[in-house]
Amino acid sequence: MQRRPRRTDSRRGMGEMTMTLNSTDADTMAAGQPGRVVLSGVSKVYGKAYAVENLDLDVRAGEFISLLGPSGCGKTTTLRMIGGFEFPDAGTISISGRAVHALPPHRRPVNTVFQAYALFPHMSVARNVAYGLTYGSVPKAEIGPRVRDALAMVRMSHLADRMPAQLSGGQQQRIALARALVNRPAVLLLDEPMSALDRKLREEMQIELKLLQQQLGTTFVFVTHDQEEAMTMSDRIAVMNHGRIEQVGTPSAVYDAPESAYVAGFIGQQNFFSGTIDRADGGAVGIAVEGSRVATSRPSGLAVGSEATFAVRPEHVTVSATADTGVNVIPATLMGVSQLGSALQLVLLTAGGLKITARASRSVEVPSTIGSTVWCRWDAASVHVFPGSVAA
Amino acid sequence: MAVDAAVRTAPAARTGGRRLRWSIGMLALPISVWLVFFFIVPFGLILWYSFGDKPSLYVTHSNDVLSLDRYVEAVSPAFLQTFGRTLEISVVGTILCLLIAFPMAYWMATKLSPRRQGLVLALVLIPYWTNFLVRTIGWQITLSPEGFLSEGLQALGLRDGPLEVLYTMPAVQLGVVYNYLPLMILPLYVALERMDHRLLEASRDLGANAFESFRRVTLPLALPGIAAGMLLVFVPLMGDYITPSVLGGAQGGMVGQMVAGQFNRAQNWALGSAMAVILMLAILATVVIFALVARLVGSVLGRVQRVDLSAALPQQGGAR
Repeated sequence: MQRRPRRTDSRRGMGEMTMTLNSTDADTMAAGQPGRVVLSGVSKVYGKAYAVENLDLDVRAGEFISLLGPSGCGKTTTLRMIGGFEFPDAGTISISGRAVHALPPHRRPVNTVFQAYALFPHMSVARNVAYGLTYGSVPKAEIGPRVRDALAMVRMSHLADRMPAQLSGGQQQRIALARALVNRPAVLLLDEPMSALDRKLREEMQIELKLLQQQLGTTFVFVTHDQEEAMTMSDRIAVMNHGRIEQVGTPSAVYDAPESAYVAGFIGQQNFFSGTIDRADGGAVGIAVEGSRVATSRPSGLAVGSEATFAVRPEHVTVSATADTGVNVIPATLMGVSQLGSALQLVLLTAGGLKITARASRSVEVPSTIGSTVWCRWDAASVHVFPGSVAA
Repeated sequence: MAVDAAVRTAPAARTGGRRLRWSIGMLALPISVWLVFFFIVPFGLILWYSFGDKPSLYVTHSNDVLSLDRYVEAVSPAFLQTFGRTLEISVVGTILCLLIAFPMAYWMATKLSPRRQGLVLALVLIPYWTNFLVRTIGWQITLSPEGFLSEGLQALGLRDGPLEVLYTMPAVQLGVVYNYLPLMILPLYVALERMDHRLLEASRDLGANAFESFRRVTLPLALPGIAAGMLLVFVPLMGDYITPSVLGGAQGGMVGQMVAGQFNRAQNWALGSAMAVILMLAILATVVIFALVARLVGSVLGRVQRVDLSAALPQQGGAR
């Protein structure tokens, strides 16, 4: 309640002071913003393997950030270190400008929505939600109204007297959310909270969660392996792999401008081509693929002779039945056409056995005779190039 | 058509249900027979004998004249004194078992890997599988004034004279705690092992420290195990007569010995039966009183912890 005005104050203060102070002081001021989480050089070792390795992440106050990656990438370990359930072997973590990496969970200004919700089975919904309020500075008379408001916020007021075992998965999740948010944490941590819900309910909850976050202005750190979920809700996404962050950026940045082949392949679909760069003209580089040429007009910094992976998104591939030649044109056999609802997906196979996926809007005329020879082409500007030949 | 089909299948389904219930009833037959012949009939006989008397030196019991005289005879000062000691040993023993078993079970359930849990569980059970009498005689050897413990303590200079614990009430207390401990550890371990340990993380996350998390999450969830363990220890402990016979001597006798004495040595089945009935009623009464108190405490706590959602927000918080 008192937190939010204070945050706007500190923001305004920071703006005025950057004129006179040097940037280091401004950074220190910014780190003091309620809800900002800064991880620097954080490592966590299990046995001999790094679960998280030298990780730097700056979560802005009030943003919805997703830690996205496959299982075992260190995203949950990172979240658990912010929450205080694991302690980093190296590095520092600060929340709202205060170093917290050595504090136990109950002394950190964060609350967590757990994967399996972890509602207390021996307490009613209302007592579950009231649990954390006993330990804050909330006056006793205010606990009831606070619980009531929190339940109303997740539209679960009518279930206040139920026991957790009597609730559905979706209802349990809302209660877990209310139980965390009722404490008005500076940061809310969410550990794959949607993974147990069915698809339709999950999509509804995604929208609701995002709206709730915008309304409250609380920092949300959301862990997921589902890239669609991350794209739908996040202000920024941190794509993780092997205990490191591969890229942090807005959903459109990680989708349109992936910084590594891993990110390019993990977010959305890609067609990968690998080979040795054999030509560079005017900044553009190219490789030979089965007698055709794939080239990019994007700056790559790669020299002739180095290994490279080229990536083209299915929606950038156009397919036509008329013969064509030139750069970024590959003949292939049409293997199948499938409906994706709003779009069509075409699966093609080149003479050399390379699979190409193309996606076209349903209003566009595409060849539909299975087994016919077609020509795939794409714009040189839509081709991303990454060093190395390891393709997903 | 759908209605038609439903009507036609409904009676068939009902017969099926009846047949199912009948066959499930059959499954309970062996245990029912067992209970009737080895529990209800003997108990009925004991009750019946307790209203009779011992007519002569060579007859154990007779029900020619029915009276409550044997009960009056049973509650002699000697019996009441032994009964009081029995109750004390049982209550103290149950509490000691709980205090020792809880940390043990908690450690097993939360700190050990599943493989180690199996090993430690086996270590808890192996002594329990050993013959009750042999285990107790083991304590007799250990505690005897000429035993290795006594001599070891004297050699180390920790005691001036020999150990004088054997054939006292503390020896019986020690023996029963040792003998009944596994019965407390097992249900506690099961209750704690079943608990989702993420609940403790959730509790810590919501601001509770380790002690508060224990009080508000671990303890309430372990209550069924605590209740089961206390019943499993208290009830057989009240009727134990091997432990006091081996370790108790004259000072540490329990009611079970007096009952056995009437049946075996005095050959007075009527008086022995009356003592046994009093003992069983006392066990029942203790358990019922304990359960009622526990329920009362539970309902009071429930009322105190209720969250009142109808209350209006105090004025100073109305800024929202």
